[in-house]
Amino acid sequence: MDEDGETETGAYIWEGEYEKTWEALREDEAGSIQASVDDIVSRAKRRRLLERPADIRLGMMRHLFVVIDLSSAMTDQDLRPTRQHCTLKLLEGFIEEYFDQNPISQLGLVVTRNKSAEKLTELGGNPQRHITAARKAVDMACSGEPSLQNSLEICMKTLRYMPGHTSREILIILGSLTTCDPGDVSKTIKELASYNIRSSVIGLAAEVRVCAKLCKGTRGKYGVILDECHFKDILMQHVSPPPAATNTESSLVRMGFPYHQLSANVASGETPSMCMCHLDGNEEQGFGSKGYFCPQCKGKYCELPVECKSCGLTLVSAPHLARSYHHLFPLDASVELKLSNISAEVSHCYACQVRLTEQLLYQCQKCQKFFCLDCDLFIHETLHSCPGCANKPPNQALNDSVNNRNNT
Amino acid sequence: MQTESGVDENQLHKCLDSIMVFCNSHLMLNSENKLAVLASHTDQSKFLYPKAESATAAAPPSVEPREDVISMATGEESNDSMFSRTNGPGSCGEGKQTSSDGRHELLAQLDDSLIDQLKEMILNDSSQDNILRAETMLAGALALALCYIHRMMKEHTKQGLKSRILVIKAGEDSASQYLPFMNAVFTAQKLNVPIDACLLGKDSGLLQQGSDITGGIYLQIPNPMGLLQYLLWVFLPDADTREKLVLPPRVQVDYRAACFCHRNLIDIGYVCSVCLSIFCHFSPICSTCQTTFKIMGRPGKAKKRKLLPK
Repeated sequence: MDEDGETETGAYIWEGEYEKTWEALREDEAGSIQASVDDIVSRAKRRRLLERPADIRLGMMRHLFVVIDLSSAMTDQDLRPTRQHCTLKLLEGFIEEYFDQNPISQLGLVVTRNKSAEKLTELGGNPQRHITAARKAVDMACSGEPSLQNSLEICMKTLRYMPGHTSREILIILGSLTTCDPGDVSKTIKELASYNIRSSVIGLAAEVRVCAKLCKGTRGKYGVILDECHFKDILMQHVSPPPAATNTESSLVRMGFPYHQLSANVASGETPSMCMCHLDGNEEQGFGSKGYFCPQCKGKYCELPVECKSCGLTLVSAPHLARSYHHLFPLDASVELKLSNISAEVSHCYACQVRLTEQLLYQCQKCQKFFCLDCDLFIHETLHSCPGCANKPPNQALNDSVNNRNNT
Repeated sequence: MQTESGVDENQLHKCLDSIMVFCNSHLMLNSENKLAVLASHTDQSKFLYPKAESATAAAPPSVEPREDVISMATGEESNDSMFSRTNGPGSCGEGKQTSSDGRHELLAQLDDSLIDQLKEMILNDSSQDNILRAETMLAGALALALCYIHRMMKEHTKQGLKSRILVIKAGEDSASQYLPFMNAVFTAQKLNVPIDACLLGKDSGLLQQGSDITGGIYLQIPNPMGLLQYLLWVFLPDADTREKLVLPPRVQVDYRAACFCHRNLIDIGYVCSVCLSIFCHFSPICSTCQTTFKIMGRPGKAKKRKLLPK
């Protein structure tokens, strides 16, 4: 659709036929349409999974700033209970998912209101700190106008000094249709592009030209929400690592794998000590013998991943890196087939043993096993490995893939 | 005939007996407890119980969940024991023929199904070469179990279902299964499913990490003849009851990573920022993704220039 509201055929939308969207929904015997709503949602999910391009280098170590608009437009009640509440609640879920999928990445929060911007939390890798700050932000008063340029400047001040191999990103959640800037936003956009900082915007109201320009100039994504579910969808899309910029440096990062100790070995003279993460606090939290010891300076930490305060070494554990491996070895999409078209005798889903009654099945291309819709979604979104392929010994899997390539 | 582990051939038969008693006790603890048993072989994994219902066979008598008991029990399911063992050629004991009179119907079904399916699996062993392998498809069996749990959780959202997985393992770890295994472990962590591990043979680093991450119990059994006692004592109680019991202490898990070049465990390593592979020393090219890296030499060295001959 172009700007005058004309469709491709040249007619205006109101001149076309009615779109009977209610006919897409079907009631089942109990009168509930939950089944068809679920069906539509899962189809949309599958379509999105297929759209993700493969074989692209991803920015795995991410430094992301989330800018939250707290202007007077956020008191609007089109999202329940107010836009501000809804945004911050979804943001908590986003923060958890983000650190779950990108354990070696960092996040920071910035708010903008009254024509200025302030940093809520510094860039860091501890999810609890950000979630607490987001919860406190619900009580902050919304007033004034947001300032796009000021918030971008604040983020840029920190992000420009981040190492070159990381992916620097800004995500702006903007509810207002205006922005009040001290200078020329285009200059800021050019500066962002020169530092390789990828800015994406999620608009809550309508499409704004300056945001579109910002996203286009920095190769980010611009989305405008329709309702709360769509908001959650768009927000969660930013959890997966984005494609890396072409001039991102690649380097070998020096990291430590600390030794975990459950209890002190009193015989060799080890005593309980204070951990480095709780040194500043007044509570007794962190005193004990349990913890992770930095291999370089033997400083004690309660949780990983963390950057050692005394020697600057990034400390991670092997499972943290393993959590990101599924982005690098993504699962191929499965093929949708009709039950009636299949020649082989298939009565049960391979994974969950449920009897296949519906018309649609999903088949893995590599191991040729059939799955039901629920299992297919579960495998692609959560499990990230196909049960059929995991049950094949390595040399047999190799033979099968060679056969498949010869047949096709 | 000796199996690979060098014990007498009745070992498998005795283990299977212990496991059947354990499964029966789990089902008897609460009438709404549910169970599924998988077996993991060197080239496949299979559900031993429940058998997939076929369209022609009569529907098995199902135990209706009684609504009035929901408030007391939490409808626990133990999605149970993947049972992997060394691939001995057909060394199963004789299945005892017991009559079904007088036995609880559900338990009789369970016992018969276990024995029949296991016999079928061993007799139809279709490995092409005659090499005895000790590595089983553990990650595949875990993936199947998690899909089954996911389906059961969806079917029982009203009552709420707490699941856990128990792995009884005698075989060895398979290095090629690292990635699907870790994926399964993280999924189990997300679904709040603890993975318990009962080791009959050597220690397994993978299962140690898995049970530590998901909050399960890891136990290596010193005497395989006492398998039933360990199963009933340590693994039978559910997650809530475990907090009140004195159980074997947590194992110290080694979370250090192994470098990709030598497979040594390292304290400090270099991680490629593109593909996240770990190396023990600096090298200009990543062997996994072939990316070239900047050489981080000292600034003084970089400025040295060779004098060109005039």
